[in-house]
Amino acid sequence: MIELRNVTLRYGEKVILDKISLTVQDNTIKAILGPSGVGKSTIIKLMLGLIKPNSGQVFVDGVDITPLKEADLYPIRRKMGIVFQGNALFDSMTISQNMSFFLRENLRLPDEEINRRVVEQIRFAGLEGYEDQLPESLSGGMKKRVAIGRALIFNPKMILFDEPTAGLDPVSSRKILNLIASLKKSNDLGAVFVTHIIDDVFAIADEVAVLYQSKIIFDGPTAQLHDSQHPFIKSILSDKILEL
Amino acid sequence: MAATLIGNYVESKMLRFKELVLTMQEFFYFALRSFATLPKAKRYWRDVLDQALICGVESIPIVLVSSISIGALMSMEVGNLLEEFGAKTMLGRSTSNAVLRELGPLLMGLMLSARYGSRNGAELGAMQISEQIDALRAFGTDPIAKLVMPRLLAALIMFVPLIALSDFAGLQTGALVAQFYHKLDPGIFWNSIYPRLLPKDFVVSFLKAPVFAIIITLVSSFNGFSARGGTAGVGRSTIKGIVASSGLVLVANFYVSKLVLDIMH
Repeated sequence: MIELRNVTLRYGEKVILDKISLTVQDNTIKAILGPSGVGKSTIIKLMLGLIKPNSGQVFVDGVDITPLKEADLYPIRRKMGIVFQGNALFDSMTISQNMSFFLRENLRLPDEEINRRVVEQIRFAGLEGYEDQLPESLSGGMKKRVAIGRALIFNPKMILFDEPTAGLDPVSSRKILNLIASLKKSNDLGAVFVTHIIDDVFAIADEVAVLYQSKIIFDGPTAQLHDSQHPFIKSILSDKILEL
Repeated sequence: MAATLIGNYVESKMLRFKELVLTMQEFFYFALRSFATLPKAKRYWRDVLDQALICGVESIPIVLVSSISIGALMSMEVGNLLEEFGAKTMLGRSTSNAVLRELGPLLMGLMLSARYGSRNGAELGAMQISEQIDALRAFGTDPIAKLVMPRLLAALIMFVPLIALSDFAGLQTGALVAQFYHKLDPGIFWNSIYPRLLPKDFVVSFLKAPVFAIIITLVSSFNGFSARGGTAGVGRSTIKGIVASSGLVLVANFYVSKLVLDIMH
């Protein structure tokens, strides 16, 4: 379980997040919806401890990670996988090397076990036959699937997705959303995904938090979003895509 | 009106000064962490070897070009000057002072700052803006141990033989110019060097290798890690890294020489 409690984050004078509180339960798909540039990706980085809030606390499985040093954060981060918006694949490594890299770096596993896990993730991502290709030779959707496979490599309890369908064609977007939904069903995984596309939220999210002007203006089951009387939510429900 | 303008001016200057102090503090912390990760060299020995190839072996041509040109130039110009005073036999000594102690290491430092520093800055900057450095942290790998420490260690190791090569090539070229341009017997050229060579000549020369290695690697890597704002940001951070490290190489070159010559007077 991940919990943000009264988190405030400022860059200089600009307030990015203003005393926001948010809980993500295990085995739940939670969407964080908001316009571009509002600080949605920042929430994911806070959950991983990649940035620290100016005030407030971030709990991962009951542990307050805000005062922890970088080295102490590593084992906690491995409970979560992350898929970055631009995938953040290592462009000089092949697909299988990208997937095995962090296993070799951080766990002392025998080569057979590493290979077994990589083959498993390549099969899950539907990338058989592409193991020895470099990321640059893959399509956007395939790169995203490599990034998802890599995020699963430590068998995490939760996966964090930063705009998972941004820049993808409708078919690839649908495939990625199905993949995220299948993670919950087949692997008992929870997921947090930030997005500005409201259709994606209704497609797979159990819960949604709406971030607007540095505050959470809605946090609850996706089906209840229609009941909100907030003018911003009413407007986005009619526009479908948030581009402010 | 004037008071407001002055107030705004002072405020903006104070803000810039504060940013500068903050950047220096971050750099100091970055440098400390880079040195603190040196014990992990055994784990990242492949990366150290890769970087040693890049900053050492692949830098040989540019180091040779700079040392040969400085050796030839010094021998030619100083030879002409000494001829006016009938002291051409001192050409070897004059050339060796310039090549070994000052211009040889300095030019090599500037060349490596441009070559190795720019490569570091651009590569790490691109990794920063494409979130690869965040990915390393997110999956539990220390990016400084993985990316900066091997560069630092490789430079510390490889800059010493590069200086030696630079000294050797510079002096040999000086000797050839003395022989064929000034018609000076090679024996006279080398005899004016060997008996007068002192330990401090080598200490000055070789002490500059680790100093330049630290400056070039850490400044360029820090700027790469600080890259923001897309591809244009990578360009800006790379340029900042080269300018800062070249400036610091020039300053360090003077102070290392002064320190050693003062101590070993």
